[in-house]
Amino acid sequence: MANKSDDILEEYSSKEYEFGFVTDIEMEIAPKGLSEETIHYISAKKQEPQWLLDWRLKGYHSFLKAEDPHWQNFELPKVDFQGISYYAAPKSRAKYKSIDEVDPELIATFEKLGIPLSEQKVLAGVAVDAVFDSVSVATTFKETLKEHGIIFCSVSEAVQEHPELVQKYLGSVVPHSDNIYASLNSAVFSDGSFVYIPKGVRCPMELSTYFRINTENTGQFERTLIIADEGSYVSYLEGCTAPKRDENQLHAAVVELIALENAEIKYSTVQNWYPGDKEGNGGIYNFVTKRGVCRGANAKISWTQVETGSAITWKYPSVILQGDHSTGEFYSVAVTKGKQIADTGTKMFHIGKNTKSRIISKGISAGEGQNSYRGLVQVGSKAENARNFTQCDSLLIGNRCGAHTFPYIESKNNTATIEHEATTSKIGEDQIFYLNQRGIDTEKAVALIVNGYAKEVLNQLPMEFAVEAQKLLSISLEGSVG
Amino acid sequence: MITTTSLYDQLISFYNNTAGSGQQWLSDLRSRAFEAFSTQGFPTTKNEEWRFTNIAAFLKEDYSLQPGAATLQDIKKSNGIPSFDAHEIVLKNGMLNEDVNIRGITVTPFRAALKDDRLKSYLSKYISLEKNAFAALNTALFQNGVVIETAKNIIADKPLHLIHVYNAEDPVFVNPRILVIANKGSKTEVVESIYVKGKSPLFINNVTEAYIAENARLDQYYLQTTAPNVRLVNFTQCVQSSDSLYNNYTYTLPGADFVRNTLHLDLNGTNTESHLYGLYLTGANQLVDNHTSVHHLFPNCMSNELYKGVLMDNSRAVFNGKIYVHQDAQKTNAFQQNNNMLLSNKAVIDSKPQLEIFADDVKCSHGSTVGSFNNEALFYLKARGIGEIAARNLLVNAFAFDVTNKIQIPAVREYVEKLITKKMSEAYDYQ
Repeated sequence: MANKSDDILEEYSSKEYEFGFVTDIEMEIAPKGLSEETIHYISAKKQEPQWLLDWRLKGYHSFLKAEDPHWQNFELPKVDFQGISYYAAPKSRAKYKSIDEVDPELIATFEKLGIPLSEQKVLAGVAVDAVFDSVSVATTFKETLKEHGIIFCSVSEAVQEHPELVQKYLGSVVPHSDNIYASLNSAVFSDGSFVYIPKGVRCPMELSTYFRINTENTGQFERTLIIADEGSYVSYLEGCTAPKRDENQLHAAVVELIALENAEIKYSTVQNWYPGDKEGNGGIYNFVTKRGVCRGANAKISWTQVETGSAITWKYPSVILQGDHSTGEFYSVAVTKGKQIADTGTKMFHIGKNTKSRIISKGISAGEGQNSYRGLVQVGSKAENARNFTQCDSLLIGNRCGAHTFPYIESKNNTATIEHEATTSKIGEDQIFYLNQRGIDTEKAVALIVNGYAKEVLNQLPMEFAVEAQKLLSISLEGSVG
Repeated sequence: MITTTSLYDQLISFYNNTAGSGQQWLSDLRSRAFEAFSTQGFPTTKNEEWRFTNIAAFLKEDYSLQPGAATLQDIKKSNGIPSFDAHEIVLKNGMLNEDVNIRGITVTPFRAALKDDRLKSYLSKYISLEKNAFAALNTALFQNGVVIETAKNIIADKPLHLIHVYNAEDPVFVNPRILVIANKGSKTEVVESIYVKGKSPLFINNVTEAYIAENARLDQYYLQTTAPNVRLVNFTQCVQSSDSLYNNYTYTLPGADFVRNTLHLDLNGTNTESHLYGLYLTGANQLVDNHTSVHHLFPNCMSNELYKGVLMDNSRAVFNGKIYVHQDAQKTNAFQQNNNMLLSNKAVIDSKPQLEIFADDVKCSHGSTVGSFNNEALFYLKARGIGEIAARNLLVNAFAFDVTNKIQIPAVREYVEKLITKKMSEAYDYQ
């Protein structure tokens, strides 16, 4: 048994990353390095208004002042901020009027990734915004959305067409001085998605963005801004891949969600950046700041994430529960194998009365992977009757991996009820034995157990994504016997 | 780094005056410890281990490092634990002056014990001085305290009652030191309590080291109920060898303005068992901070931790429990639970349970809850004619019961239970 599981583990950790190809497409790349000039360059390229340039420069100055964080329990690789190119775009970037005008090479890339850009091929009715390196290349279903008054476009487009909305909300949840990576993003963000759902509108389809890092020595710094006006609803999905490279690449995105009174935002991520090879060379550093705020009463924000890729994942999608009766949710499955590190979790700030939050985090560590849950539940003195439930479970596969939990619970209100529980264990031999007995081989049994273990989170994903996520999970865990 | 000038300078000059005495190994250790302390300074809230605990205010006093003589018989009589049959060891201002004779157990003043080179293999052997400023300070400066050693295969006939009496007529900063060596197959119970005379600020920076050899058992009880002028920093380093059993009971009741308990437990052998029980009932403006860390280094060990807190008035409590399961520690069972009841809308709790696990064949869990009275339970009791205050007392006692009923010495249990009821009825603002 031991030998067999070693073999399988070996095979499993050497599992190839299937999205590792490089697209050969002519790119326009900014010279490496970061300075005020770089920011002027990016801003000029995108023909941005003065206020945005000023804001970028503020971000740059807070970046210069900021220090690398030192509280994480892994060794933070020194990122050479001068060795990165901060702007890369497919060269032939004219304004595409329709999808037919997009470079066929690009379309082929996204097809290869299983992202249908051509509208007639869309079966499920998902509107897609595809971001290739730094630039949003195509957004589908624009017209349909327009009928409902929904704005779904790239941030650069929004800056041109809806400057008042962007100016009002950009940086209102994640300020430019939030942390070193958010500051960097504020200074050099290239593109990203912008969503605005008007009052009382229920978005008729899932909105989706697909991120792809292609060029060598670039970083991806996208910025996503979603505003759900009073009484509206939107479900938003994002997916990510990158080619195999021996060098590490930096992905420092910022996502801001704003839910006004009675609005609901559901944000789902399936993250599959290149995790590096089995010696731990290469891979993406996924250092992302994601935060949402429930501004009005009865607002709801729900984060769901499936993290399978990246050499290092470091993110804490958070919710500020400002409005009374607002709700925050966080569902996460994080899988680490090889030498991957995932340090993820959430922060729930209870400020308004009768606010509720629910955290379900499932970590799966295999090979030499390290998985940490780090979370904060903070109840302010005015958050009467605040309620939190947290569950974080870890599953260990193999004896060289690690699972860690660092929950912070701070309560200043005696009417609040907070519950936290965490467990760590391996897959029970009795469970595997039970399934073996019923004719299910060990490999399938493990997949079954893991899927059952992650079900609570996967159930939160929209249909189309749930299928992808389940597939991803079973590929990731193929043959991993406890 | 806090460098409260008067205290910091005093500590340095005190060190310079006392260092260099005694054996070479000891002065080497002391200088290493002092070096560690002076690089760290007193911890600030920037230090993760002290994130929620700001001690600046407690260090401001004009402390003297040389306490006067203590004459304290009267305190002992009125505050002792009723009908508790134990061997009494009285430390006056952290000092023990002569041996205490107990069959099978040697109780030696630390000052005398230091002449023995054997102590070299125990003293600060496992304490990470570079990370624990207060323990480093104590190691550098301590002058006295007590060494308790239970001989091989001795089952102590009665518990030891370590009574710390302090004279706080003037502001004093003391560094008492305790070393407990439980040799193979022995069983020892040590109950510690603190009595203070005088109303001036008293800063107690206590370090206890406990070594539990194969098949031995040690039970340690900390009963921390003192006066508001006390600031207590209590550092415990415990090392368990194979097949040993360790129980720690830490009960903090209203009294001292500031209590910080740091408990490090190294499971340095296989098949060990450890239980850590804690209760903090806090009132007035108290700040009570409990930090524990359990290191599972070898396979087949079991640790269980249960800390419960009841917070009243303006009090504030911090709980941080860490469990580390190292790579070789397969078949580990480690459990940890922290439950808190906030009885006042001004009380604040910061709870941080933490697991770090590097082995796969383990069963580990932790849980943490924060809440208040169960209104339904309260209604149930009131509907049966039990008054509001009595009903609340009953519920708090029931909540604390999980921890108090673990006390194995009946007299001590009764004493703690009575204290809880008394402190609860004294408190007024816990609606």
